[in-house]
Amino acid sequence: MSGEAGTPVRSVAAFVRARRGAWARLEELAARAGKARLPLGEVAEMDRLYRRAAADLALAHSRFPRSEAEGYLSQLVASAYRALYRPRRRTAALARLVRERIPEVARRRLGELALAAGLLGAGAMGGAAALTVDPSTAELLVPMPVREAVTVGRLWTGHLLSAAPGFTGAALLRNNVSVAALAFGLGLTAGLGTAVLLIVNGLLLGAVLVYLAQHSMAGDLLAFTAAHAPLEISALLLAAQAGFALARALVDPGEWPRSAALQAAGREAAALLVVVIPALTAAALLEAGVSPLASFPWMAKAAVGLGLTAALWAWLLGGRRAPAA
Amino acid sequence: MVRGPALELETPERVAVTLELAGVGSRAFAWLADAFCVFLVGVAALLAYSISGDLVRDVQALSWVGQLLALALVFLMGWGWDVAWETLAGGVTPGKRLAGIRVVRTDGGPPGLAESLVRNLLRSVELPLGYAPAILAVALGPRRQRLGDLVAGTLVVRQERFDLSRYDVPAAPAAAGFTSLRGRVGAALGTEGFERVVDFLRRRPELDPTARSRVAARLAKSLASRLGTAAPPAGDAEAFLEALAAFHAEGR
Repeated sequence: MSGEAGTPVRSVAAFVRARRGAWARLEELAARAGKARLPLGEVAEMDRLYRRAAADLALAHSRFPRSEAEGYLSQLVASAYRALYRPRRRTAALARLVRERIPEVARRRLGELALAAGLLGAGAMGGAAALTVDPSTAELLVPMPVREAVTVGRLWTGHLLSAAPGFTGAALLRNNVSVAALAFGLGLTAGLGTAVLLIVNGLLLGAVLVYLAQHSMAGDLLAFTAAHAPLEISALLLAAQAGFALARALVDPGEWPRSAALQAAGREAAALLVVVIPALTAAALLEAGVSPLASFPWMAKAAVGLGLTAALWAWLLGGRRAPAA
Repeated sequence: MVRGPALELETPERVAVTLELAGVGSRAFAWLADAFCVFLVGVAALLAYSISGDLVRDVQALSWVGQLLALALVFLMGWGWDVAWETLAGGVTPGKRLAGIRVVRTDGGPPGLAESLVRNLLRSVELPLGYAPAILAVALGPRRQRLGDLVAGTLVVRQERFDLSRYDVPAAPAAAGFTSLRGRVGAALGTEGFERVVDFLRRRPELDPTARSRVAARLAKSLASRLGTAAPPAGDAEAFLEALAAFHAEGR
């Protein structure tokens, strides 16, 4: 228990007086380290000051509990700690995430992915079957704008070619991100919400396709959506996979406490979400930029869309590494 | 100084750090401030777009770059705003800075891309319910975590402004009258008593004169009894307190 010069510290004011200069310097270095890279000499100085401040904090804990000085030191040590232990090599971390972590998680959570795909597929088949058996169910399953567009004889997607394709694409992106976020977030309802969302979207998809086929317009829709739909559906499935990962942690945490299982699942889900956003961005770009182009033959659109989607899944699920246990 | 629920964590140097957790009020304020920032950016973008509308349209019709920029902008305004700020600025968005709060991982470190994505995308289940689950969880939960915080392993802590200048106690010239107490003040007053005296001395210029002398007399009386000495006459109460603060600050 000694101050700067080895004299015993009896009062909080004397303690603050003796150490305040060093604390102010540490505060300044920590603030600067948050903005830019410090020269080596200053990093060494900051490390030394940090250790000393941590010792001061320990002393304040025992000698001056609940004082303003203790609160100040707690905050100072925490912010210096953040600055010192900040991950330095962001690009290396990102590369590792892309090369190893994301595919590893996608493969380990194959069951969740299959469940998502199965529910979406089941919904689509249900919708298609309903319209095939009884075309009047269209009133229930096919959205009003689609039916109106068909009676006019023009695809409803036509009006998307409005003045500003960039902003249209942005609006589509927001909408798609919201749906994907919901598919993920509803995993917290033990997966029930995610399941309902997938089935409903599947139903709509199947019903609209069959409805347009019955009015011999399915080709138009497929031609329009060939470039972007595969990526959009892939992103939705990945978001649902992440959601089901949360659901599984809630329903079956295994030997862990539920909160710990949920956090571990959250870390895995995050790796999948990192894919969802760029995939949706690419899909929105295609939807706004390529899909409306009449000059682009639909074969080429399909090649772009399917090619990108195949590449995505090959990265996620292909490769030589065996799925982790 | 720490009140209410707090985050206790231990650094690798085995020092316990205590950070106070942010409550519903400051977090709601930060959310509103961020929403307002996003709104302002949106208005600015629309304004720029409407002023140079034709130009922008031509550029967009021609190149993908313009489209990419517009996409990036609008995305930033929606789900990306919080994620981008929290990831790049170490857990602080402009609204959070204004409210004096920040996001930290449960180990005290700054949130990464993964943590930020999870905690913000999970808003999707709270927003449609009017944020009610989040408000309840923050108000009642022991660690004041939203659903998103729970899953991401993050917390929101208060960034407080501490004022060390309160410890600058002038050596009181009137101290001469109370020098006999000098040796006993440190132990008898304690840190808590000292901070009470200092707080009073700093605030007394703002106090109503009658209240000021009443508080001074009461404080002087209670501390005098701790020191085992007679309470000073009413007129000397403040000089007595100044002397106590000065003796205590000497730290001998």
